[in-house]
Amino acid sequence: MKKRLISALMVSAMCLSLTACGGSGGDSSDGGSSGGSSSGALRVAIWDNNQQPGIQEICDLFTEETGIEVQVEVKEWDSYWTLLEAGASGGDMPDVFWMHANNSQIYMNNDMLLKLDDYIDKSDKIDMSKYLPQVTALYTYDDSYYAIPKDYDTIALWYNKTMFDEAQMEYPNENWTWDDMYEAAKKLTDKDAKKYGYAMNVTNDQDSYWNMIYSKGGYVLSEDHKTSGYDDAKTLEAMEFVGKLLTDVCPPASVMAETQTDILFESGTVAMITQGSWMVPAFKQNEYTAEHCDVAMLPYDKETGIRATICNGLGWAAAASTKRPDDCWKLIEWLGSEEMQFKQAELGVTMSAYEGTSDAWAGNTDLFDLTGHLAMAEESTVEGVENLIVEYPFTYNAVKWTSQCQKDLVPAWDDPSQMEDKCKEFAKTMNDIIASESK
Amino acid sequence: MTNSKSEAKAPAKQKMTTWEKNQLFWGWLFIIPTMAGLIILNLYPIVNTIYQSMCKTGDFGKGNVFVGFANFSRMFGDSEVWQALINTIKYAIIEVPFSICFALVLAVLLNRKMVGRSAYRAIFFLPMIVAPAAVAMVWRWLYNSQFGLLNNLFGLKVEWISNPKIAWISIAVIGVWSILGYNIVLFISGLQEIPHDYYEAADIDGASGIQAFFNITVPLLSPTIFFVLITRVIGALQVFDLIYMVMDQSNKALPKVESLVYLFYRESFDFGDKGYGSTIVVLLLAVILVVTVFQMIGQKKWVHYE
Repeated sequence: MKKRLISALMVSAMCLSLTACGGSGGDSSDGGSSGGSSSGALRVAIWDNNQQPGIQEICDLFTEETGIEVQVEVKEWDSYWTLLEAGASGGDMPDVFWMHANNSQIYMNNDMLLKLDDYIDKSDKIDMSKYLPQVTALYTYDDSYYAIPKDYDTIALWYNKTMFDEAQMEYPNENWTWDDMYEAAKKLTDKDAKKYGYAMNVTNDQDSYWNMIYSKGGYVLSEDHKTSGYDDAKTLEAMEFVGKLLTDVCPPASVMAETQTDILFESGTVAMITQGSWMVPAFKQNEYTAEHCDVAMLPYDKETGIRATICNGLGWAAAASTKRPDDCWKLIEWLGSEEMQFKQAELGVTMSAYEGTSDAWAGNTDLFDLTGHLAMAEESTVEGVENLIVEYPFTYNAVKWTSQCQKDLVPAWDDPSQMEDKCKEFAKTMNDIIASESK
Repeated sequence: MTNSKSEAKAPAKQKMTTWEKNQLFWGWLFIIPTMAGLIILNLYPIVNTIYQSMCKTGDFGKGNVFVGFANFSRMFGDSEVWQALINTIKYAIIEVPFSICFALVLAVLLNRKMVGRSAYRAIFFLPMIVAPAAVAMVWRWLYNSQFGLLNNLFGLKVEWISNPKIAWISIAVIGVWSILGYNIVLFISGLQEIPHDYYEAADIDGASGIQAFFNITVPLLSPTIFFVLITRVIGALQVFDLIYMVMDQSNKALPKVESLVYLFYRESFDFGDKGYGSTIVVLLLAVILVVTVFQMIGQKKWVHYE
């Protein structure tokens, strides 16, 4: 009797699992066969939690307008790329997603992204000349467009007003040179009290040392995107300055490796950090930074007279393998339209890539004076100083050498006296990597 | 078992009876789901990984070029791989013995009649239910050298996860803590199979609790211990998530902690070199095979099946 009962149970369990498989199979094939029609939600993938509410709002407006459902999924930066690559290899990518300069070349070259040329020609909402050219360039391949610019970002100097007030020092401003910044940071550093003048996020090259390299006349990647600039004399000079900052005014490298620099800043442990404009929503939400902090332009270099910011921008792209290219385009067109680009800026999601949206973004909060971020990308108002907007350095597979760099320079962050050797070593590795890139 | 097998073999050439056909049909039907799972999810990937380890893999899995043993010769000259192998073994040497010894002692204690027994069992099992990522995040904060609970509570200045000399131990401690509950459950179930008569007899003969533990409990529990040992050694050699979640890429202790699977992940997914990544897991597979074979041979000396 007992045995019978057990076998009956097993059979029913098996039937259940079989029907469950069948059921889900049926679902997915439904989704497939109905491709082109407006059933089911478009899958949208992004990686920034801070931007999710704003993007969701804009997508909801799209659903109201067109009746096409949109489902926004947020993944962490690292897993985002792992999943996107797995999806691209296995033919199951999200329909619409963010692209980044680090990865755009490899995706465009392998025909993973939907070509947008024909759609753009027919559209009355999209005019590619209206977007920041530095961003458009990142998503153009063989004279074809593969993404509509979403935003752009600049790096600026965030500082803790309260720490400056207590030390009775003037706030950072557009007249500061890197030396001024170093001196101020030194005065604000009290290692016994665990207070530091500056903290550098060494795993994020874009918002830290790359800006210093370009400001001091060096370069990361040559203009033909073929050779490394890490062994350039000016670059090494800049990296030596980075080493000086790390030794004298930053928390120990191990502390910065254990605790992210923006958290150190948000907890009032460090007086200054260099951060990208994409962090504004996070700093707005954080009670401490909202009350105590503000932002100014990055310092410039006294000798070269250059103030440099890396300028990157994301693009809205669609999968080449999508079953509903027309719906995808409708969404991308919506997200790139003048109206929604303004909306994105007003909501303070990020600065928008569309021309003339900067004032809208500056007005998204009165907690901070955001002109610091905007002025980085405008004509200089300080005499004898040139504002340099550096296009994000990319190669066919830039992830490979940027990841390698993070790994190879670790000993130099810990012991800056090795900086020159490690940079020169890395330059060789980087050249090898670029030379071995498939195309 | 052996009887029915030989019976089935002998008349193999004769026609099967209806009953036997039935048996065959239902037998296959019941194992098909498991077989299909094994083939699709395990066997096929294993074969494919071994093949990829001999390829220069193209982007997005397109255009793999067969290069023979080029990846392997690169690996044999790669000191980082050997360091990672040492790290992995060091981790296993801490995690496996400690998690087994602690779990065994705790299981014996939790097997007695005592107040709040199920509460204690639940508490020890809790780490198993929590997502590994959450476990890693909490420990990362406990270990934080500036703001961490450990250092602030005891007034220490130890860089638990940034000092290359101790970081690997800190990681292994998390490993022991999170696997303890699982081992305890297995041991308790093993303990409950041991007839109580043995202990009563030992008690009458005047054996102490400790003597009973080593002379009755351990030998009779040895099949369970062996099972836990085999699975834990394999599990420990595959450690990845703890290291990935706790150690930042700019952590200077990382070269002394990173495991083979960590290297595999970085090569395959950060650097996009699936071929070399596969080569590293093939090495890991070989190591696990060898270790497991030796354990299987060794078990004859100490595992007592009734």
